[in-house]
Amino acid sequence: MKVVHYVNQFFAGLGGEDAAGTEPVRLEGAVGPGKGLGLEVAVTLACGDDYFGEHEEGALARLLRWLDEEQPDVLICGPSFGSGRYGYACGSFAREAARRGVPAVCGMHPESPGVLAAEGAAYVVPTDVKVTGMRDALPRMAALARRLASGETLGPPDQEGYLPRGVRRNEIAERTGAQRAVDLLLAKLAGDVRTEVTATFDDVPPPPPVADMSNATVALVTESGLVPRGNPDRLESNRAHAWMSYPLEGLDGFDVADWETVHGGYDTSVANADPDRLVPLDAVRRLVAEGSIGSLHETLYTTTGNSTPVATAAKFGQEIAQRLREAGIQAVILTGT
Amino acid sequence: MMIGTNRTVRGVAVTNPVGEPSLGGEDERALRRRIVERAVAMLATDVEPKTVWEGRT
Repeated sequence: MKVVHYVNQFFAGLGGEDAAGTEPVRLEGAVGPGKGLGLEVAVTLACGDDYFGEHEEGALARLLRWLDEEQPDVLICGPSFGSGRYGYACGSFAREAARRGVPAVCGMHPESPGVLAAEGAAYVVPTDVKVTGMRDALPRMAALARRLASGETLGPPDQEGYLPRGVRRNEIAERTGAQRAVDLLLAKLAGDVRTEVTATFDDVPPPPPVADMSNATVALVTESGLVPRGNPDRLESNRAHAWMSYPLEGLDGFDVADWETVHGGYDTSVANADPDRLVPLDAVRRLVAEGSIGSLHETLYTTTGNSTPVATAAKFGQEIAQRLREAGIQAVILTGT
Repeated sequence: MMIGTNRTVRGVAVTNPVGEPSLGGEDERALRRRIVERAVAMLATDVEPKTVWEGRT
């Protein structure tokens, strides 16, 4: 099998950051980590990380021209570990190679920008973030490369040890969903908990408690779809495209004349008769007056949490949290429906 | 617990997390206040991950 290996200036032995502007070069045989792949590397291509980033089109054109001259069975890029620029170069080159019919394997940390740059066209083997993961990464990349070079079709990511590429493959199951569901239930009753579909959530450790709530500023956030009556900013009833913020100055509660919910995921009649049933503004004001809460942040953050993709919801959360941090908020009361 | 949030006070219902229309008036406001007081207490408490407190009792 014929292998071409791509590395950056550092792993090619051309220098460190001082050589990051190195133009693409073609070297005979294996260089640096390529020697540890356990494969015969015909040609090593290298490029400075800065050069690639600053001249992406030109660098890719040159690299792809060399690749075309070699007609290898597989291209291996990296491993680039946690590196941003190097990872991006690997992912990009691998993507273009794969789209031109040369199967490509990268090795990098799952959070490297190179994973997205590969756009699912190349196979990315997850590695440690640090270079100390080299001895672990090389054989895994080589194994995948060997199989791709032989024309093998790989199985699903979790079985084969590469990152999901965003590819769905239809399979015909031997047993119906109903039969498989009963199997899972019987297994669960026997103590064997299995699932075909996994929902994953972030595991965020609980922040330490607020030392003194009577001195704390609290913010109100909601996904109940509460908005000023008339929905001036057109918050959607589902699949919200944004979150909104509205002033609470001078309000001791949410008057039905001035507020409503536009959420499309539950019966809103009870809430629209008394919007404090969604966001307890009246109760919070009273607790502030009595001194149990230091103060209320005078802005409501609101959105509709209905059929919101998880990634969108996470983005909303991060953006709102950023605002609250900048405003010096200590705690949040978030109501959900 | 389904969603992995660390400090949760169980509200009344989907349609009215911090309300109870069958009560109405002062009784409903008292219930809402109690739920919020639980939330305030929970914010000031060290908790294990994914802890749920009752709101009404």
